[in-house]
Parts: sequence; structure tokens; C-alpha cells
Amino acid sequence: MFVRIGLVTDGGYPYANGESGPWCDRLVRGLHDHEFDVYALSRSARQERSGLVDPPPQVRRVHTAPLWAPVDDKGAYGRRERRRFAEHLGRLALAVCDERAGTDEGAGTDEGAGTDEGAGTDEGAGTFASGLYGLAELAREHGGLHAALRSETALRVLESACRAPGARRSVRGAAVADLLAFAHELERALRPLCLDWYDTEEGGLGSVDVCHATSAGPAALPGLLAKRFFGVPLLVTEYGVRLRAHYLATDAGREGPSRAPLRALLAAFHGSLAAEVYRAASLVTPGNAHARRWQERCGADRAKLRTVHPGMEAERFIEVGEGDDTGDRDTLVWVGAIEPAKDLVTLLHAFAQIRKERPRTRMRIVGAPSTTGDGPAYLAHCRALAAQLFPDEAAGAYAVGENPVSFEEAGGPESPELADAYAGAGIVVLSSAVEGFPVSLVEAMFCGRATVSTDVGAVVEVIGGTGLVVPAHNPKALADACLGLLGDDGRRRRLGAAAHSRALELFTIRQNVAAFRAAYLEIVSHTPVQRVAQAVGAGGAPLPFAAAAEVHVPVRWAARAEEALASVSAQAPASAREAVCAGAAAGAGGRDV
Amino acid sequence: MSDGGTTMARTAPGTADPVKSLLHRHRTLCEDAVDPLEIAAALEAHGITDKAALARFRHRDVFALAEELYARVPHDTASAEPAVAAQTTGAKRLAPWMLVTPLPGLVAAFTLFLLDRAGGQTRLGVALAGAVALSCAVAASLRHGPLRAEGRRAPAVRLWVYWLLAYAVYGDGLLTAHVEGGSGPSWSATPTSLVALSFAVVPAAWCAHLFSLRARRGLARSRGLADFTASTRPTLLVAVALYACALTGIALLVPPLFHDVHGYGGALGVHGLHGFHDGGDPAHVAALGTLLLLARLLTVHGRPGAAAAGLAAACAVEALASLSVLVSGLPGYAALGTPVAQAVHAWGAGAVPALACGAAAAGLLCHAAVSLARASAHT
Repeated sequence: MFVRIGLVTDGGYPYANGESGPWCDRLVRGLHDHEFDVYALSRSARQERSGLVDPPPQVRRVHTAPLWAPVDDKGAYGRRERRRFAEHLGRLALAVCDERAGTDEGAGTDEGAGTDEGAGTDEGAGTFASGLYGLAELAREHGGLHAALRSETALRVLESACRAPGARRSVRGAAVADLLAFAHELERALRPLCLDWYDTEEGGLGSVDVCHATSAGPAALPGLLAKRFFGVPLLVTEYGVRLRAHYLATDAGREGPSRAPLRALLAAFHGSLAAEVYRAASLVTPGNAHARRWQERCGADRAKLRTVHPGMEAERFIEVGEGDDTGDRDTLVWVGAIEPAKDLVTLLHAFAQIRKERPRTRMRIVGAPSTTGDGPAYLAHCRALAAQLFPDEAAGAYAVGENPVSFEEAGGPESPELADAYAGAGIVVLSSAVEGFPVSLVEAMFCGRATVSTDVGAVVEVIGGTGLVVPAHNPKALADACLGLLGDDGRRRRLGAAAHSRALELFTIRQNVAAFRAAYLEIVSHTPVQRVAQAVGAGGAPLPFAAAAEVHVPVRWAARAEEALASVSAQAPASAREAVCAGAAAGAGGRDV
Repeated sequence: MSDGGTTMARTAPGTADPVKSLLHRHRTLCEDAVDPLEIAAALEAHGITDKAALARFRHRDVFALAEELYARVPHDTASAEPAVAAQTTGAKRLAPWMLVTPLPGLVAAFTLFLLDRAGGQTRLGVALAGAVALSCAVAASLRHGPLRAEGRRAPAVRLWVYWLLAYAVYGDGLLTAHVEGGSGPSWSATPTSLVALSFAVVPAAWCAHLFSLRARRGLARSRGLADFTASTRPTLLVAVALYACALTGIALLVPPLFHDVHGYGGALGVHGLHGFHDGGDPAHVAALGTLLLLARLLTVHGRPGAAAAGLAAACAVEALASLSVLVSGLPGYAALGTPVAQAVHAWGAGAVPALACGAAAAGLLCHAAVSLARASAHT
């Protein structure tokens, strides 16, 4: 079975310093029997300078486009284009400003959005999706969206949308500065609309069978348009929900103190965009239950959601886990980046209580301070607290004493590999107050160590009963749980073994890759790209049996009828693809059915 | 869902409303939030999970809790004052452009002074060095401060500007020479108009600064686009009028200043030999300066095409005028030169470029009054 996948990334793979780089790389390498076209949006000039990683042979080509640089324009719009632009932007802006935007699905069904011809006065007026696709069609035909979004026309449209009856209260007070800033942000956010990726020739997004977007943010926009223009199904993967990241970024004031109307406009825009992405996607794969909850909240259909846990590089840890050793029963190990969110203070207080019961216990804190924020200061604070709580101890009168709590760098002399740190642990402790996906916990599970963790983030979902979970900010509970485990070797061994097998089942790379392989096949079998040129012969007459009959049968057949599918999707002759291009240009972006 | 939760929380005997204390703790967060999801994200960042929301605050999940918090806090969206305060405080320091902008005038004056002193072979060298230094100084003062226009340049603008400046120096002499029918090769130059224009970079920068400052303040203050346009248009007109006044003053002051030098030089025989004209027509200098300022303003605010068109129009008129005078010397074409000749006879040689630049400046002013008063020109 052979699927051609268009992988759209945003500031990640294949750039060397991309954040989502590792998992995309593993995915691409893992699926060597499929073909990938990588479409990468870069976030900064620095990232672009960092260069691209060497892609494996199954990556046919890599397209890159900078999101940080303004797109070059083809000039200003004429009168008709300007009217079309104002109309579509007006719809988009009205939907963003609409008070009920967060709750309704105004966008209509997939078919409804797919068949209307964009520029006309269709019944879906005023909705986000029709405005967005209208702008996309305009940009595809005439370019020049960049200048248009910075023009006075755009500002007037935005102003009237903010003042329109039914606009939410928070945006009604938008002043000129807010409108300008919003137009600016809108222009940045809609830059993917101006890319030259949207054609059906070799290398265009129209030539792939599945479009896989690595976030519901900018990366999903090309996917949305590919779905709209060519009917290419969209798969969206999110390990962290983009909308939530947007809220946290504005909350932390990274974008400066902006006024409430502007923030309201931006939040509503990103919310509407996320909702549209979730609506159009054939399948959405959150990385954990937390992301899944946010996606549901943002309007994703439950039937489309499929949690795919991230896979981790685990060979070293698995070796430790396969061994018979259950570690030193008097050693607690904590691993992670040292920062206030990890709440090491609670851990130290809990350790003080543990030592009252079991004075021989030692604690190793393995990790480097996070370079950003107040990591170093927090490390110093924790060291001071440890020195205060626990005096140095020596074995005898002539030995040099040392603190029962040791702070070690990962990869230091005590444990050259992280796996060694876990191997020496009787219990691995996680004391975070705030946590996303707990990587150190999964590593401990791979190592087959019993764990005690706080109930934050995705911890419960990850551990799933193979370790102890206590409330956050509760040193007493943490200490009790640890004491219970330290005193019971059999229980530690049983929990460790269970955790090990759970991790092997859920968090390996193989599991992750297999899940995506299944997702691709499922999408291709349920919503194959139907290209009109393959069903039309040389003289324009319909070609009998061009598409297999099974295509129209709504059952799972991906596993069986491989040949049939291949004839539909992959082995199209080159001439047919060119004809598709012509057909798509004439069809003004409608679905080529 | 959230209603049930709160009534339970309120009616529970002996316990305070837990949501209320939470609200108290995150008061600013809840007041600043624009929708419940923002509160939910922040609460999660503070470590409140679904389980905590259920156990401590009696809500189904964090989202329900956030909705409750959002509903309980009054949201004040009409507070524009802080933005204004933040905008105005930043503009009080001494910026590099304030030091750089007098340079062109000083360079030009010094060069002219040296030109007066120098004689024979060195004059050409001094003139060339002065021209290079002057263009460097002008480039430096246009690269910083309110006259900066990075990446917004129409291609031919530089050519038009050099032509206009060259005409300002040599054009009057040429025209006079041909209309009066004097002896051919000895044109007189009017470098003082160039000096006046170089000094005018200072008021130009300050007027542009004033305009952008007022416009930015208007951006922060105006409620609507129409308000902004209504408040910005007078500012533009005032700024341009101020500049025109300052420039006229400079144009009137500079020639007498150098006339003294000339007189001194003339006593030494320099003046008579090399044919400096008394000084350009102040009207010409004022019109040209205003045209240049408007073109620069339009370029700075993203309308380089219009600026280039205005400059090109002025160039074309000047070129046509000169050409008609030159051609009228040929037999049979004498009639072509009459309008220009009559104008020169009536108002002097400076009238032709003054009219050309004035008309172009008026056109650009009309364009600017529309386009620069828009909010989209002030990003």
C-alpha cells in the first residue's frame, strides 16, 4: 500500500532547530514504504539559516516558505478585485466579531462549503470559512493579498465589522490602533494563502493523497486550501494545542501590553481558524487527553479525534527495564529541567519526612536548570533549601560528609547516560505543579521503575495505574506514597514491570508510526482524492472503470484492495495530472468531482 | 452546569465560596481576559486540573470553572488611556537624527565658502569633494529619523531629484543666458539655492517628526477611522505650511549671507571670473523644497509611486521649458520659445521652475491630504 503524503510543518521539521523536528523525522523515517512531500513554513531568519536536516529517500522534495518575511506582491487590485476582497474579508471579520462565534458551527457541512462558488452571493454569507476560502481563491488568482490587507479598504471593513450589530462587546471598543494591529496580524496569519503550493502538478499540494498538518495553526492553512481546492483529505496532529499556546503567549505578555479589543479579535480569529481546521479535517490526532479536551472544546468532532501518544527514543531505557535489577531501594531519583513549575520545594519537604522514617535514604536530583526564565535562581534556591533541611552526613568521624540530596547534571560523571540515573533509582519521583506531557515519567516507565507522581497534566493518562499518583503541593501525601513503596520490594517490582509493559505498548516510536500509518490508510480509504482527469478520457468522454467501484462503498477496504486503491491514487500517468491542473484552474477551486 | 456548582458552593454550610477566593487571587487575570478559554489556559498554567476544579470548586472541569469566573467579573473594555501614556513617553530623548540633519547645510555652506576661496584648478576638486560630502550627509540624514523610508523606494526617484537639484543650480543661469541672448558658454550658477535646500533638511525632518508624532498620538486616541482622518489632515497641512515658511525664510536669508562673501571674493576677482549668480529665486527654492518634502513624506508612508510621479512631472515641465528655449534659437522655431521668454521677462528666470515645482507640489499635496490622512499610511 503506497500513499503520497504532504507533510506541512510550521517552524519545525526539516529545519535543524525546529521544535517538532524529532517526531516528524521519526515518522518520515519510519514510513519508508510511503512517499512524502514536505512543505515547511519557517518562523524566523535564524531558523532558516540553521539549515535543513538531511531527509531520507522517501522524502521526494522539500518546499520551504518563510512566514516571517512579507510576501512579494504582484501589485494592487483593480476595482473588481477590491470589491471581492472587501466582500470576503467582511465575511471573515463579521464571523470573527460575531458574539455567537464560539458556539455555533455556521460554516455548514463539508459539501455545502465545497460546492459553492466562492464569489457568488451564497447562503453561507457571513461565515468565517466562506470568507477565508474567498480570500484564498482571490490570492490564488490575483495574488496581492499582502498589500490589500494593509490597505485602507481592509481597515474600513474591519471597523464596520467591529461596529456591526451583534458584534461581541469586547471588540466594540476597538480603536484605530487596534484595527491596524489586527490587520497586521491577520496579514501575517494569512501568509500561507499567498504561497505557490496550490496546484496539481508534481510537487503541488494537489498531487498528494493525504495532507498531514503538524498543528492547527498556520501549518493547517495549506491543508485547508488543499482540501478546498483539490479535495485532498486533511490530517491534523497536535501535541500542544495551538490555541492554548496563543492564549498563554499573550498572557505572558510576550507580545507587549496590547489592549483588550485587539486581544479579543486575535483570540476570536485563532479560535475560528482552529474550529474550521477541526471541522475540515478528516482526522485529528491529539497527543494526549489534555490536548484532546481542548480540541473538543474548540469544536472538534469526537468521532474524528484519535489520541496518538508521542513515541520516544527508548532503546537505552528498555535495556534497563529488561534487566532484573530493581535499583537501590534507598535512592529516590528526580529527573527533569529545574524550574519553578517542577515544584522541587515540595519534593524536598516530602524527602524530609521520608528521612524521619528511613534515615538512610538518599535523593538524586538529575537535571540542568532551564536556561530561560528563573531556572538558575530556582536551582540556587533549591540547593539552599536542601542544605538547610539536611545537614551534611559522613560515614565516620574521619570521613568527609556530604548532603543526602545531590544535584547532578544529566550526563555528568555520576550517570553518564540518563538511563544510568534511572537504573540506580529505587523510586522515580515527579513532583511537578504544572506539567504537559511528562517525559521523565515515561522514561522511568521504560526503565521499569516504580514511580510516584503528582496528578498534573497528562500524568494520570500516562501512568494509568502502573504507579502511584498523589495530589500536587502535598508533601505529606508524596512522602507517604514513597515510604509505602520503599518498604515493599515486591510491590515496587510489580509496579515497575507493569509500567514497563505499558510504556512499551503506548509510547514507543513503532507504536506512534504504526498509528499514523493506520490513520493514513483509513483516511485514504474513506476519502480518496477523486481527480476528474482520471475519469475522463482523451476526447473528454467518461472513462469506464477509471475509479474502482469500491471507492464509493463506505466500508474499510484499505487492508485488502491494495491494487484498486493504487490505481486510483498513485499510478496516474503524467498526462492525466496535467489535465487535472487545467481542470482545476477552470473550476475556480471547486472540488474536482 | 456551572449554576448547579455555584449554588452548591454557596449553600454549603460553614464554608466560604471557594470560587470567590480563587477569583480574588486571579482578579487581574479574570478582568483582563477576553474570553473564558483565556482564563482556562491561565488556570491550567497555575496548576488547576479538572480534578481540582471538581473537588475544590465543584465545577465539572476547568472550562466550566473558567466560564464561571469570566461571568462573575465585570469586563471594562473602554480604557484607552494607558496606551496613550505609553506612546508619548518614549519620544523625549535626543535622537541621532537631530544631530545629523544640520550636517548637509553645514557641508554645503562650507563647500561654497571654500569654492569662493579656491581658484583655478582646485575649484573643480573642491566642488566634486563638496558634492560627494553633501550627498553623503543627505543620505545619512535620510537614513535616520522621521525621513527614513526603508524598502519603499520607487526606482527612478533618485534620478528625478538629481535633475531637479541640478536645474536649481544651473537652470536659471541657462534660461537667462538664452532668453537674454547673452554670450553662450558663460552660464552663471546659483549654488546658494542648493545651500538653502541643504539647510532645509532640518525643518523637513522636524516637520515630518511632528507629523508622525501627531499621527501616532491620533492612532492611539481616535475611536474610528473617520476621526483619525479628520484629525490628521489639518496636522499634515500645518506641518507642510510650517516647512514652507521655514524654507522661505532660509531661502531669503542664505543669499545675502553669501553675497557678503561673494563681495569679498569679488574684490579679489573671484566672483566676476567664475560667474556666480546672485542667488536663486526664493520662490523656486521654496516650491522645490516643498515638493521634495511632500515626495519624501509620501515615500515614507508607503506611496512611493505617487512621489515619483510628482517629481517626474516637475522634471518634465522644466525640461520642456529649457528645450523650448533652446529650440527657439533654430530658424523657424522661434515661436516655441515665446511663452517661456515672456515669463522670464515678466517674472525672472526663477519663475519657470517655481511654477513647475509649485504645480507638482500642489498636486502631491492634494494626494497627500487624502492618502496620508488615512490610518493605513501609519503602520
